[in-house]
Amino acid sequence: MSFLVLVPTKRVPDTDGVIRVVPGELDVDTSHLSFVINPFDAIAVEEALRLRERRDDVEVVVVGIGGEAYEDELRTALAMGADRAIRVDAAEPLDPWNVAGILAELARRLGPRLVLMGKQAVDDDSAQTGQFLAAQLGWPQATFASRIDDSEHGAEVARETDYGIETLSVTWPAVITADLRLNEPRYASLPGILAARGKPIEEMSLEELGIEIEPRVELVGLQQVSSQRTGRRLENVTELLQCLRENTELF
Amino acid sequence: MADALPETSDVVVVGGGVAGLSTAMQLASRGTSVTVLERERLGNGSTGRAAGLLGQLRGSPAATRMLMDGVEIVTELEERADVEIFVQTGSLRVAQTDERAGEIRDLVEMGRGIGFDIDHLPVDEVSELLPYMRTDDLIDACYCPTDGHLQPAELVAAYLKLGRESGVVYHPGCPVRGLDITENRVRGVITDHGTISTDVVINAAGPWSYLVAGLVDTPLQTAALGHVYLTTRPDDGHPVDRLSPAIRDRHLRIYSRPESGGLIVGMYGADAVQHDMASLPDDFDMSSLTVRADDLHVALLIDATKRRFSWIDERTPMTITRGIMTFSPDGKPFCGRRPDIEGLFHCSGFCGHGIVQSPAIGVIMAELVLDGRTGYDIEAIQADRFFEHPELQDRPDIEAACYQMHAGYYGRIEDGDGSVVEQTGGDGPTA
Repeated sequence: MSFLVLVPTKRVPDTDGVIRVVPGELDVDTSHLSFVINPFDAIAVEEALRLRERRDDVEVVVVGIGGEAYEDELRTALAMGADRAIRVDAAEPLDPWNVAGILAELARRLGPRLVLMGKQAVDDDSAQTGQFLAAQLGWPQATFASRIDDSEHGAEVARETDYGIETLSVTWPAVITADLRLNEPRYASLPGILAARGKPIEEMSLEELGIEIEPRVELVGLQQVSSQRTGRRLENVTELLQCLRENTELF
Repeated sequence: MADALPETSDVVVVGGGVAGLSTAMQLASRGTSVTVLERERLGNGSTGRAAGLLGQLRGSPAATRMLMDGVEIVTELEERADVEIFVQTGSLRVAQTDERAGEIRDLVEMGRGIGFDIDHLPVDEVSELLPYMRTDDLIDACYCPTDGHLQPAELVAAYLKLGRESGVVYHPGCPVRGLDITENRVRGVITDHGTISTDVVINAAGPWSYLVAGLVDTPLQTAALGHVYLTTRPDDGHPVDRLSPAIRDRHLRIYSRPESGGLIVGMYGADAVQHDMASLPDDFDMSSLTVRADDLHVALLIDATKRRFSWIDERTPMTITRGIMTFSPDGKPFCGRRPDIEGLFHCSGFCGHGIVQSPAIGVIMAELVLDGRTGYDIEAIQADRFFEHPELQDRPDIEAACYQMHAGYYGRIEDGDGSVVEQTGGDGPTA
């Protein structure tokens, strides 16, 4: 039996895009935005591919939960080298508990030894799904991984904390979430891109999975934060101190 | 914007990239009042993303002279602004087919004919010079010790420093909305922050320059085409010396130069993204052009790169730089005035070679504006050379011609005087 690695990926606006809130609505204007795989999830995809390069029995399955548009990003993951892609058809947005519920059901059906995912998505920064998933499955978890040393029975996972590098040992099956410094994701190769074009993306519905969405978190407000910074040139330190006195509470 | 726009200016330069900044500096140094209007930030368009490769030996003696003089101008800039701009690494062209070897023979012959330092380099010496490059498939190479690259950021800094000293006024964040033309003469430039009266406008808006020309309903034969290059990180296993020669491999359609201990590799492929500049917002920042992990042009670039540098592949830690080049139908820029509108000059269409052409182009533009003529041979780069060309007046025709030029930029095979012997459209890594 192969060592199946499940890599949930979220589709998020390109981090270099300008995010504008639609006034009066609980949504951002997506008309001008381009989308990418959540960068932390891309790191998880890369780590899964490296795991497959280290051991010969690994199968990498990427998952996206959302509408048809998710297929672009799943195809990107296939082009990078993932073996299979599954899209669970669902209306967005979903809160982390429900996403974890869907992933838990998928995990029960597919039987992965490892669920490897980003530590958080860069659009809502919840950083909860991996932890919820481990709890729902009753699996060990190692979050914010900056290094993964795998073995036959589990992995040693390094996490960068404020106090130093913490090393955890988990046994398979496990949930591991990826931090920024785990790796640097590859670009797809030319053969990879061509191969991905022909690969099917498997589709599943929430009904098939027997899942009913029960929202636990309600979004009640979304407000544009101004990122405009104005600067001006000051002549000397006296002016600087004056400026700090007037505009800050430092003195 | 820090200060109000001046009410009048002898010359208004539209575009704060190297072409506009060099021209402004040269004009001001001759006592002209100059205002530079830049849509976004100075030096942050194509200039800010350029690799800056300087290969002085071009298809014609006139183009070669311009680049050689440019090095002298840069040397002076370096002294006056106290920055290092020119990194003289030398450059190498490699050939793995008979056609490319023939090109190198012609190039060496032409170079020697005009006293340029260039010679064939035996392949075993190539591998000594560039231990990180694959050479077993090469049949010939030529080496120019005086080539290298210009560092774009330092060049911009020097243009700005010396321009400011001569009184150039810079206005970033100030898109141009219209040109005031009366009786076929330029009278002023219209912006959101007011109108500047002027008799001379220099259109140095790079990829946007065709839109500036369009403000007065005239065509400019340029198109905005995407370009990507990669920069590897320093790698102890494959050290790249700071002074390793630049490389041009026209068969694989790639160029390369050292960068901060890693390697820049870029590609003029058979295909390019065509950008509609009009659809971009006023504050479009070219550095926000990001790259998907499965971008086809990047995959083609990496595929070609690993054929020459076998230690690089899609897993190699690297940065991809994406920018927009301004291409023309014949691969040459437009420098000079339009015959139908007095006072409107173009300075655009540098086809990915704007950094290295900018030093001499600034001198040429200043001479054209102030003296009405220049000592340089500018026949090939006249702004009006397609003025009455019936097939290059409409955007779709112009764009198709520019795209075609780009597709053959490295792919075509030239003889000694730069004319095309054969177009090898499919020749390259994808063939």
